[in-house]
Amino acid sequence: MITSTAWKNVWRNKIRSLVVIISVTIGIFGGVFAVAVMNGAIEQRLEAALNTELGHIQISRPDFRENFDIHLRLDSITNLDKKILELNGVEAVTHRTIISAMANTATKSTGVQVIGIDPVQDKQVFSLGDKLIPGTGSYFADSNKRNPVYIGEDLAKELNIIRYVIAPATIDSLRNRDVPETVLSKLDGYQGRRFRNQASFTDALKDTLTKKEASKYGRKITEEAWSFRTRTRLTLTFLDRNNVQTGGMFRVAGIYDIKNKMYESSHVFVKNSDIGRLTGLGNEAFHKAVIRIGDIEQTRNITRQISENFPDLEVRSWKEISPEMAMMNDMVEQFYIVFMIIILAALAFGIVNTMLMVVLERTKELGMLTAIGMNKKRVFRMIMTESVFLSLIGGVTGMIISWGIIALTSRNGINFVKYGEGFEAMGFSAHIYPDISITFFIIVTILIVVTGILSSIYPALKALRLDPADALRTE
Amino acid sequence: MKVLEIKEVHKIYNSSEVKVHAVNGISIDFEEGEFAAIVGPSGSGKTTLLNMIGGLDNPTEGKILVNNTDLSTLKSSDLIDFRMKNIGFVFQSYNLIPVLTAKENVEFIMNLQKRSKKERNERTMELLNAVGLGERAESRPAKLSGGQQQRVAVARALASKPKFILADEPTANLDSKSTETLLEIMEELNREEKITFIFSTHDNRVVKKARRVVTIEDGKVISDETR
Ligand SMILES: Nc1ncnc2c1ncn2[C@@H]1O[C@H](COP(=O)(O)OP(=O)(O)OP(=O)(O)O)[C@@H](O)[C@H]1O
Ligand SMILES: [Mg+2]
Repeated sequence: MITSTAWKNVWRNKIRSLVVIISVTIGIFGGVFAVAVMNGAIEQRLEAALNTELGHIQISRPDFRENFDIHLRLDSITNLDKKILELNGVEAVTHRTIISAMANTATKSTGVQVIGIDPVQDKQVFSLGDKLIPGTGSYFADSNKRNPVYIGEDLAKELNIIRYVIAPATIDSLRNRDVPETVLSKLDGYQGRRFRNQASFTDALKDTLTKKEASKYGRKITEEAWSFRTRTRLTLTFLDRNNVQTGGMFRVAGIYDIKNKMYESSHVFVKNSDIGRLTGLGNEAFHKAVIRIGDIEQTRNITRQISENFPDLEVRSWKEISPEMAMMNDMVEQFYIVFMIIILAALAFGIVNTMLMVVLERTKELGMLTAIGMNKKRVFRMIMTESVFLSLIGGVTGMIISWGIIALTSRNGINFVKYGEGFEAMGFSAHIYPDISITFFIIVTILIVVTGILSSIYPALKALRLDPADALRTE
Repeated sequence: MKVLEIKEVHKIYNSSEVKVHAVNGISIDFEEGEFAAIVGPSGSGKTTLLNMIGGLDNPTEGKILVNNTDLSTLKSSDLIDFRMKNIGFVFQSYNLIPVLTAKENVEFIMNLQKRSKKERNERTMELLNAVGLGERAESRPAKLSGGQQQRVAVARALASKPKFILADEPTANLDSKSTETLLEIMEELNREEKITFIFSTHDNRVVKKARRVVTIEDGKVISDETR
């Protein structure tokens, strides 16, 4: 009876209740969805970092990290592999030769880290091969060619390997992408010109295109004008095993894009055999072994086991290599919950406020109910039930909408490409797949119920303090 | 048998500056089956007295015994229960719960008392029929006239079979036709069911129907006549 009366009371002032319910719904949805986007971005970033940059566990000689001395190599690799692969949870292991070098093209030069790999083996740990920009070549597919190098998009831009040109084919593809003729005819004038980077290209576009055209079609035009010189020569200069400067001429075999400018501009991949020959270290000179494990929750455990097996080597998990990643991974859940608590607290004030209004409005009725024998416990329960209804209806609707929209958007992701530059500079993908854990979902639902109950206490107490004689005298 | 004894009751309101002696030493008894009106000019202390009789307010001095129980000896939670079982209230402004139907309003207390559904139904319909609203059982208060709402209020007051019904100016908001109907119903309940009614009023037509008239002025009984 109290419950059903409370339910009916909720709908007594339909508009007011709906406003509260809708604001709770929007608040919850906004919070949960924002968390899902943040979480999706962070998880993708973590995934990307683990799959393309860090691996799960790295092994090297203790001092290698400090001085990158090319003589600090791992001994008896076969034995090492065997022991590691025997451990439960280890999926694959790869080895890398790591050399600091200068990369030069005809026009530019920059410092890089040259990583020598066995492409087939490396692919079992890292997914760099999948990050190839289509049309830029391959990930070491042509095994006969000598000295192929696989470089990042950002380095390619720095070294002017990527440039922007308007060719007849560019105009055609833009026409297919619904760019109007008026714009296309303006682009004709750019044919034959080469732009060394995106900035100079977009600047040049601004000379002829109107602001509106530039903002509407600018992205399509840069995408289509993007091109690169195939098989560009790249000279890598480094020190050999006797500390004598040496180097080699490499050809760009492919360009990868992992949405992390810092990494892209400083890591180039070559075949281990090529670098071994040039440095004189030979084929079996590896500075690092990188391990992939099945379950990332097992990181600590497996890292410890490996350390015990190889007391003379430095064994570091991704969490130690990249503490900021580890912190992100460990702290996000707490952060999200604090974030939701703040949103819920704001909503609680809305509910408290509404319910106080309710109590004030119904002073006389509540006095009457006490007069005819409804005891304090029941009055308290009725007001409390009402507020819990308010927050639950809004909260549950918000959760259902969030769940639905997250399910929808997580399939194809949301494209923030417009703001992509900023994202990618920080290593985040601009194409985000919102994602949230079931645990978080359950915790938030519980928090909503708790909020509903907590925010009902004060108004219900107010109702209790009413003196029936006074309450009945109010008009 | 005495259902209500009021012994030397005083009520002093100590609001900020002024001290109001709203009830100033009243002693009266009521027998079972009475149909009594409390009359007096505005501000004479009628509402204050009825509130104290109903246990909604405490006397500053004096004693009130309902069915031989001294209200001042009851804890506030017991007092609410005691009220529910022994005293029925009818208010000037009906005070029905607007979201519930007539039937649900009458049932409300029985529901809190956890009476069986069958018992609730029978009693509710019996009471609504008694006040002539059997047909309107499913109507919400907003769909009823003031007189009809007040009759539902009487039915509600009777639901828990109280010792007596206190009604503070039950007809003040009603037109003369509704007033007449309500009084007829009250008289009939009093006559047939031996329900005790104690009501305050300003209205001379209502006073005429009362079998006992207690007149108070300035918080004192100035006359008490039984006809
Ligand atoms: N809560 C209160 N605080 C202070 N004074 C009060 C309070 N309630 C009533 N009074 C005063 O007590 C006196 C008696 O009031 P009461 O309401 O009992 O009169 P009444 O006979 O019911 O009048 P009416 O016919 O207008 O309803 C009045 O002077 C009133 O102002
Ligand atoms: Mg009064």
